[in-house]
Amino acid sequence: MKKIVCSMTILGALTLAAPAHAFTLGIIAFQMSSETHARCANAAADEAKKKSWTVEVLNSGGSLPTHAAQIEDLIQKKVDALIICMGKPVETDSQLADAQKAGIPVVTAVAGASPHTLFDVEVNEFQNGAVAAAYLLSKIDYRGNILEERFEQNVATRERDKVLDAVLSENQAVKVIGVHTMARTKTWQQDVRNGMHALILQNKGNVQGIWASFDGQAYIIDDILQAQGMKKGDVVLVSLDGGPETYRRIKDPNSLLSATVAIPFEQIGQTAVDAVDKIVVHHVPKQQLASGPYILLNATLVDASNVDTMMKP
Amino acid sequence: MRAAAPILRLAGIRKSYGAVEALKGIDLAVDAGEVVAVCGDNGAGKSTLIRVAAGALEPSAGAVEFEGEPIALGSPLDALRAGIATIYQDLALAPRLTIWQNVFIGAELKNRLGLLDKRRMRVNAARYLARLRIELSDVNRAVERLSGGQRQAVAIARALHWEARLVIMDEPTAALGVTESARVLDLIRSLRDGGTAVVLISHNMADIVAVATRVAVLKTGVKIYDAPLGDLTADDLAHMIMTGTPPAPRA
Amino acid sequence: MSQRVEHTLACYGTAIAAAAIFVLFAVAAPNFIHISNLLEILKDSSFLAILGLGFSLSFVTAELDLSFANICSLAAVVTGGLIHEEVSPWLAVLAGLVTGIAGGALNGFLVTRLKIPSLIATLGTASAANGLAFAETGGVAFVGRWDPTFLGVARGSVLGIPNLVLWTAVAAALVQFLLTATRLGMRMIFVGEADEAARLAGVKVRWMKFMGLSLSGLTAGFVAVLLTAHLNSAAPNMAGDFLLTSIAAVLVGMTMFQPGRVNVPGTLLGAFMIGMLGNGLVLLGAPYYVQDILIGVILVASVGLSAATLKKAAFGL
Repeated sequence: MKKIVCSMTILGALTLAAPAHAFTLGIIAFQMSSETHARCANAAADEAKKKSWTVEVLNSGGSLPTHAAQIEDLIQKKVDALIICMGKPVETDSQLADAQKAGIPVVTAVAGASPHTLFDVEVNEFQNGAVAAAYLLSKIDYRGNILEERFEQNVATRERDKVLDAVLSENQAVKVIGVHTMARTKTWQQDVRNGMHALILQNKGNVQGIWASFDGQAYIIDDILQAQGMKKGDVVLVSLDGGPETYRRIKDPNSLLSATVAIPFEQIGQTAVDAVDKIVVHHVPKQQLASGPYILLNATLVDASNVDTMMKP
Repeated sequence: MRAAAPILRLAGIRKSYGAVEALKGIDLAVDAGEVVAVCGDNGAGKSTLIRVAAGALEPSAGAVEFEGEPIALGSPLDALRAGIATIYQDLALAPRLTIWQNVFIGAELKNRLGLLDKRRMRVNAARYLARLRIELSDVNRAVERLSGGQRQAVAIARALHWEARLVIMDEPTAALGVTESARVLDLIRSLRDGGTAVVLISHNMADIVAVATRVAVLKTGVKIYDAPLGDLTADDLAHMIMTGTPPAPRA
Repeated sequence: MSQRVEHTLACYGTAIAAAAIFVLFAVAAPNFIHISNLLEILKDSSFLAILGLGFSLSFVTAELDLSFANICSLAAVVTGGLIHEEVSPWLAVLAGLVTGIAGGALNGFLVTRLKIPSLIATLGTASAANGLAFAETGGVAFVGRWDPTFLGVARGSVLGIPNLVLWTAVAAALVQFLLTATRLGMRMIFVGEADEAARLAGVKVRWMKFMGLSLSGLTAGFVAVLLTAHLNSAAPNMAGDFLLTSIAAVLVGMTMFQPGRVNVPGTLLGAFMIGMLGNGLVLLGAPYYVQDILIGVILVASVGLSAATLKKAAFGL
């Protein structure tokens, strides 16, 4: 009996909260617990709310079946448009086709193109990887030893790592003396700590540069280096993503984090909403926004020289 | 005078649990139509002995013969297949399952398609219970909802279904009221009359005197007495179990 | 309360609650009651329903299989990898099923031969399966525009009923048949209820437990095939989320029809309830974290009611 009353109360409260019809935007983030997905989805949601749209944000929790089901659910809900942050267009091919059939326009963010979507708002991670890799090598004078912290299970980090390999192949004076590949996605912090701690101890005093495939890894490596008593400049630590914590560390005289390539995740979310607004609400032809399947945004290299401008609100 | 070969013969059975020797070389033979009562105080080795005979426990030493042939009782299934059914003190039933499931587990009836023949099992379960004069209108009832006597009947019905040549009963009346005890004793007699051998473990001397044809007494793992019941009384038996000495021959 | 009312509530309380939630969604959530949405719920809950049915086959013998989700992911990667290599889809499907049953048989071997408690053995198998799946893929999902015949296994429909729903019905019918009409099923249940009693009645207890765990693995392999076809891809942890929700479906199912006992209709309704909650909350516009919270609440509440069976399977108590 109690169970019934309980569920009734919860559902009743939700029912009251359901608003009258307005333009409804569905937003699905593939993995909210990843900061970059959350930044993109939350920025899109904020932008849509500024337009007084009704917004429904869903989190697929990193699970493909859940992701597919949520797309179908939002089609059933008959949302007016759908934004998918870091989704999987090929895997959810049939769901996106269903959305197209139902006349629901879909814009994806950092997900890849699909014949069933308008376009993908994207940064070029090959390019970003090249910028970061070139920066790292230039700061160690194109010679010496580096350590790598990699991550294979994400497209963006995988592309960055591959470009690093390409850049290194043209710089034979730089030797990779240790590689750790992050594997356990649920306890990744601990995984990075264990792997890198071992490599740093093993090669202490013999390392000039460290590559981290995303900033979250770099924070952990930075902490290990500081605990070893190293000072800024002892080792050049470079990674990618950007964000307030990264900028704080770049500015912090005790931190060894030298630079990041800041991906404009908020801007990606806002651009996606903006595109929906133009095409669906104001009927601007799609070709005016992008000529291909992508709207490409630029990432910014951030180091001590420009970190102050990034930290302004 | 014994017929050709006894149904079951245990010879020199020993069983040790670590340093403790529960059975120190027991011989026991059971003939068809006999009701052999095995008695003794707690720790005398009764339960260990019947678990060996039931295939539930491997002896440390000794031999087992069934109808004159040596037999290895490696598992309860070996014993059941040979024709030895055992009804344990804790009854070995699944309380949440139905009467018919408990009667037929391990020897289910199947139809021509090889599937469970539930109807036949229900009908036969009711029939076995009727033979025990236990009235249970609904054999779909869970065993946990039955009285102690009714549960005993379910366990005995399983032995009937296996058509055992030898039925071992461990304290069959311990949990029963007077009327139900009497019915179980009747059943033991009817098994005996049908040529089935019965080994009865009991603390109840009155029961033993009522149905046993022969009595074996164990004390600390040794058989101290084995003879036809004759005119032994319940008091004689109790005395023997306590003191470990056979009664003096009567004048 | 009269005894009859009490009995009805014990057997049907959860089902009544499910019906109440259904009615509430139907009234409050736009488009919920639409036939295409209801089919969508059935489709979405099919994976956890079938995995739950498999889990219940080990659970019924009082063993806990915590590896089925990872075995499912591994089997998906095996199937997807072969499809990706464009071998015959039949071979790929067979390989997925074999992977599943091999994982289950390994569990069975560890539990019945090496006497490792299933709680530990299956966690170990789960970890190994996860590692193998990553080794096979290097973390990258197999994705492609695959053979439509293969995709049709999960994506097609017959007379308007999605194939996934039909597969669920087939799986449910098979499990129900096994448990109620065959000797194997009766013995598996008996072993789960009272293993010593089963042994004394001549039942091969270890074999029954081995079968339960193997069939759970086979079911995981079957779901892997469906999942791979449904999503046109295979990723090394794609079924991970089903571990908790499928077990929740089984435990919720144990609160109805035959309280405290694993039963097929209960598992199906439990899976439908979880699917319905996810879908209905989306249609209502509830924040995404409400669903996780509610599933947690349901899980804890249902475990409260099936605690004894769970304890026995987990710790042999």
